[in-house]
Amino acid sequence: MTSRMTPGTGHAALLALPAVLPIVVVLAVSLVAAALQSLGLMPFIGPPQLSGDAWTGDVQTLVRSGLASVYIASISTVLSLAVGFVLAAYVLTMPRMGRLVETLSAATIPIPHLIGAGAIGLLLSDSGFLDRLLGMPDSFPALVAGPGFLAVIAEYAWKESAFVALVVLGSISRSVGDLCDAAATLGATAGQRILRVVLPLAVPSLAISAVIVFVYTLGSYEAAWLLGPVSPEPLPVRAVRLFGSVDLAARPQAMATALVTVAVSAVAILAVVFLLRRFRSLR
Amino acid sequence: MIPTLQPASASMRRTLPGGFPMQLILGFLLILWIVLPMAPVFLWSIAGQWRAPAVLPSSYSLQGFSALITPDTARAAASSLSLGFGVAMIATPLGYLGAVAVRGLPAVPGRAVEFVLLAPLAIPPFALVMGSNVALLRLYVSPTFGVILVLVVTALPYTAFMFRSALASYDQRFEEVARSLGASPGQAARTVRYPLLASAAARAFFLAFLVGWGDYIATLLIGGGQLRTLPMLLGSAASATGNEQLTAALSLTIIVPPLILLAGLTLPARVRGRQ
Repeated sequence: MTSRMTPGTGHAALLALPAVLPIVVVLAVSLVAAALQSLGLMPFIGPPQLSGDAWTGDVQTLVRSGLASVYIASISTVLSLAVGFVLAAYVLTMPRMGRLVETLSAATIPIPHLIGAGAIGLLLSDSGFLDRLLGMPDSFPALVAGPGFLAVIAEYAWKESAFVALVVLGSISRSVGDLCDAAATLGATAGQRILRVVLPLAVPSLAISAVIVFVYTLGSYEAAWLLGPVSPEPLPVRAVRLFGSVDLAARPQAMATALVTVAVSAVAILAVVFLLRRFRSLR
Repeated sequence: MIPTLQPASASMRRTLPGGFPMQLILGFLLILWIVLPMAPVFLWSIAGQWRAPAVLPSSYSLQGFSALITPDTARAAASSLSLGFGVAMIATPLGYLGAVAVRGLPAVPGRAVEFVLLAPLAIPPFALVMGSNVALLRLYVSPTFGVILVLVVTALPYTAFMFRSALASYDQRFEEVARSLGASPGQAARTVRYPLLASAAARAFFLAFLVGWGDYIATLLIGGGQLRTLPMLLGSAASATGNEQLTAALSLTIIVPPLILLAGLTLPARVRGRQ
């Protein structure tokens, strides 16, 4: 019996079209248009003229922006993974408190990053909520707009740790209990069960959430714009500023900055795919 | 959205090192981590006066919320709602079709379709928006339609993934039984398949709604000021200083509708899970 749920190959290809077509068109058009604009071949006004100025003109600031973005994304990813794993382990092991932690953590998922950034601003700014809670010490560091992008990293770690916990819980909650029981029967201590059972089970979901968090924070604008210092500018902030500049010559530079972000994301994704393959072949 | 958990097994309950007091402290710290950033938002939204060293506001008022009762905010709320629902109503069925297609295709083309469906996750939204902006302008695409198009592409990985995981555990034989009892293909889909996939569809719809409802960067760059949504109002309030009450009240206004939607989507499933 042919059912519509498992359609024939031709039929299935047709079904894929409405979803695949817009993605391919938007992605292709935007990447090609960005590349053409960065080379001066698709100017906003005036005749097209091939030029590599956008790429070679201000390499130093472009590299500094790139390094700032990679730094923010790396630290945010590591913190989100660590806190997210602890959140997941806590939810799995503590029946009542865990349920409360799980519900609260899931409730932060729908909060847009723009609001997260506003909230972290009210919390961490000079004479903000945390400063007041601590009694306004003179040594309170400049977290918002200060060096090190600490408030930006805090916002990403806060939002994305809940995401990591959700992904890890969804992938290991079914199998982890039985395996822990088995390990306990064989004499594994609590610490050993966490390190030898729960953590290895969570590695694939941690790796996948790591790449999602890294790519997301690398290309995210709101928190870096609201909470970051004026200089160095992370890639998205630089790109958006140049894009909105009245100087139309800044457009190609904005496009080059956007393409650098895409390239760094692609490298990160390929690296994780490679590492996951190695990890699977090791097991 | 929230995975239904199995109760912790006997050894899991003894897995966190450090004994009961340590576990309580860890739980307290985790709750603090989650809740602390929202605390100043709640306090500022109802604060009248709140000068620097005071830990709590010295007076309370609803001036932040009352400042929101303007035709401008109402229009922005309507724009945000229609953007959210517009993106969700397009991206949900498309994600479903994509997931069904991946299931029906042979391994290699199936992989290729899956790759395309996930590809938007790899491109930062601002890059997507900047690149396509000139093309959209040259094709005389209206800003609103351009924003919806880009956001649908951003939302498709989420909706397709939701249906992919639901279809992975979907048992085809339910539909076959319905067909062998004389149901037409359409009847089998309406009475068997759609109800079984309803919760996945609700989750997919919710995620796609969030993409439109909370978007800032696509609206900013493509909308070019013509499309004023709630996040746009928040962006201008939050980037200026001295607007704490308004920023906080606006933030809560943006968070509450999705939370109600989330509760509506997950509570019935949990009650059913317990029965």
